[in-house]
Amino acid sequence: MHIPDGYLSPFFSVGSGVVTVPAWSVAAARLRRSLRGRSVPMLALLSAFSFALMLISFPVPGGTTAHAVGGTLIAIVVGPWAAVAGVSVALVIQALFFGDGGILAIPLNCLNLAVVLPLTGWAVYRLLGGARPAGRRRLWAAGVGAYAGLTLAALAVGVELGLQPALFQVAGQPVYAPYTIAQAVPAMLVAHGLGASFVEAAVTVLGLVYVERLGARSPAGS
Amino acid sequence: MSDWLERTAATIAGSIERAVFTEELARAPGWLQGLDPRAKLVACLTTVMAAGFLRSLTVLLALYAAVLAAAVASRTPLDLLVRRVWTGVPLFTAFVLVPSLFLGRPPYLAVHLSVPALWSAVIFVARVGTGVSAAVLLVLTTPWADLLRALHALRVPPVFVLVLSMTYRYAFLLLHALTGRLEARRSRVVGATRGGEQRAWLAGSAGALLDRSFQLGADVYAAMLARGFTGEVRTLRRFRLRRADAWAVAGAALLAAAALAAGTALP
Amino acid sequence: MSGDLVFGLRGVRYRYHGRRPALDGIDLDVRRGERVALLGANGCGKSTLLKLLDGILAPAEGTMTVLGEPVRAVPNGEAAHRFHRTVGLVFQDPDVQLFSATVLDDVAFGPLQLGLPDAEVRERCDEALGRMGIARLADRAPFELSLGEKKRAAIASVLSLRPDVLLLDEPTASLDPRTRWVLVDLLRELGAGGRTVVTATHELDVVPAIAGRAVVIGEQRRVVADGPPADVLRDRELLLSANLVHERDQPL
Repeated sequence: MHIPDGYLSPFFSVGSGVVTVPAWSVAAARLRRSLRGRSVPMLALLSAFSFALMLISFPVPGGTTAHAVGGTLIAIVVGPWAAVAGVSVALVIQALFFGDGGILAIPLNCLNLAVVLPLTGWAVYRLLGGARPAGRRRLWAAGVGAYAGLTLAALAVGVELGLQPALFQVAGQPVYAPYTIAQAVPAMLVAHGLGASFVEAAVTVLGLVYVERLGARSPAGS
Repeated sequence: MSDWLERTAATIAGSIERAVFTEELARAPGWLQGLDPRAKLVACLTTVMAAGFLRSLTVLLALYAAVLAAAVASRTPLDLLVRRVWTGVPLFTAFVLVPSLFLGRPPYLAVHLSVPALWSAVIFVARVGTGVSAAVLLVLTTPWADLLRALHALRVPPVFVLVLSMTYRYAFLLLHALTGRLEARRSRVVGATRGGEQRAWLAGSAGALLDRSFQLGADVYAAMLARGFTGEVRTLRRFRLRRADAWAVAGAALLAAAALAAGTALP
Repeated sequence: MSGDLVFGLRGVRYRYHGRRPALDGIDLDVRRGERVALLGANGCGKSTLLKLLDGILAPAEGTMTVLGEPVRAVPNGEAAHRFHRTVGLVFQDPDVQLFSATVLDDVAFGPLQLGLPDAEVRERCDEALGRMGIARLADRAPFELSLGEKKRAAIASVLSLRPDVLLLDEPTASLDPRTRWVLVDLLRELGAGGRTVVTATHELDVVPAIAGRAVVIGEQRRVVADGPPADVLRDRELLLSANLVHERDQPL
């Protein structure tokens, strides 16, 4: 799901910073307030967690593999803005040190996986779980939230890729990613909606069960 | 189907090995290794941007050749560079393409067999490959600690750089823990396992991983406090731009400009 | 031999959330210049005691004075900074202590936090790295190091603060014999020159080399012995009851 450089016009990928950079600022401000000095190591560890999770790829319908992100889980256990920052850092590391995802595409990849995914997941979770989610209902809300988050992120990727041929053409040929919306969107939705999103939901729910069973060891309540 | 867990174990082990190997390579006596990391970062970004805007295959290939030349001057094994770049790129392409096949879209295939479409596909691949090669070369010739300091020098807030540094550092610790779990699981698997069990294992491991993350986070914070951490991040100033670095940046900028200019003229 | 009182503890108790007490009534005096070995089986509270001495935790009950000042709560802000300039704790797990990108960055972290100028920071780093014999590892990333090297780097990262009091938590645990004794020699040097050193360990054979006084914490989480290492280590009954040796262990 990490889009490499060259798939998108640089204008597009860097331009998405218009949304991503303010999101980062908000996340930084919120974190500084809620975790104070602790935020530095805690955020690093949460990013490391997301990073490690993203290294585990499993097969999904369509014949390829996908990975869980853990964004909704972090959002539920620590807070939505912690998830925005945490997954962003993990993505930056993957791009810079592992060449997984482009460098210019960092704002866009963060937009999809670190903003759309956890914020959607969090919103759906709160919508279904109520103001103070508990018990079975909380787990159910978490699962649905995680599913929605990843699927919506996949949809976003599909749309972004699909827009390239329409926006950037030379002599009738696509300059960047050659798949149209009609091709990219169903492909992404099938692989994720019918596959990866379920695993993200399972990871989130069972991860939450585990954390609950251990008691209040998390640094901030949800 | 149980292969994917094994492949994951291999991926993780590979990542760890790769990081250590990269660090060693990044200290070898080569051209790029001796340059200031800030200069390198700027040069890399310039190259990637240029590649992103180019439409001319000839110029793209020339740019790619320049990247390869820089690799040779830095004693970076070319086969390593090629492998790291090209194993990743086609995968993503296949990822989007294969489901299209799966969903039955033969007209799409027919379109791609026309010459202009093929040409644009080749340019597309060349562009992606060049950009990614420049980035990978940067990583292969710069110790990651220096890369982080370069970011810091480019006005990225010090807190962010510290978080990046610690994340990278502790990611390996978590990967190590994950490997331990994978090995423990492997030693107990005596028959074929079902997909459901594997996914359950994954979910349970995610929870354990998250818990370990919290634990480590709290411990590291205590250790930072014990050495006087005030919340403000301070670093040692270590880089001095030399003439060689300025030339490198200028060279990259000129190359990019020339490429963009030539790109409008050449096919 | 007797100098100012560095640590004075009376009836100190500590309990982690809702569990059995980690420390149940500790009475302990440590004077300047002493080299103390804190002995006890795993889980008997040694690490907790060291964290209390380092001001990371505060006693739930009892009184504690550090360098003459009573400590009732975990020091904050300026007080904490002053505290950590004098007392340095080397954690049991070196990975927790080595959180920076390179060994040099970790060793420089403390002095940088003190606000010292770059030149002095560098000087202190060279000194600390040299003391621990790892100058050549300065630019390495932590994940490239062996356990022994990590332990040395962790100690160096505390030494650069030039603390008067050094606390070490299980410095020689899990090391192979050669590395272990190299580290013991380094620890012995650290204790020379009047520095106060408190080392928590359950490895009895290194005690005579690194300490002039042995304090044993028993399974009841209280001090059960306090004296010269030779005497304490000779008392097999005591060692058995504190779970420091087992009947099946060969006598030292």
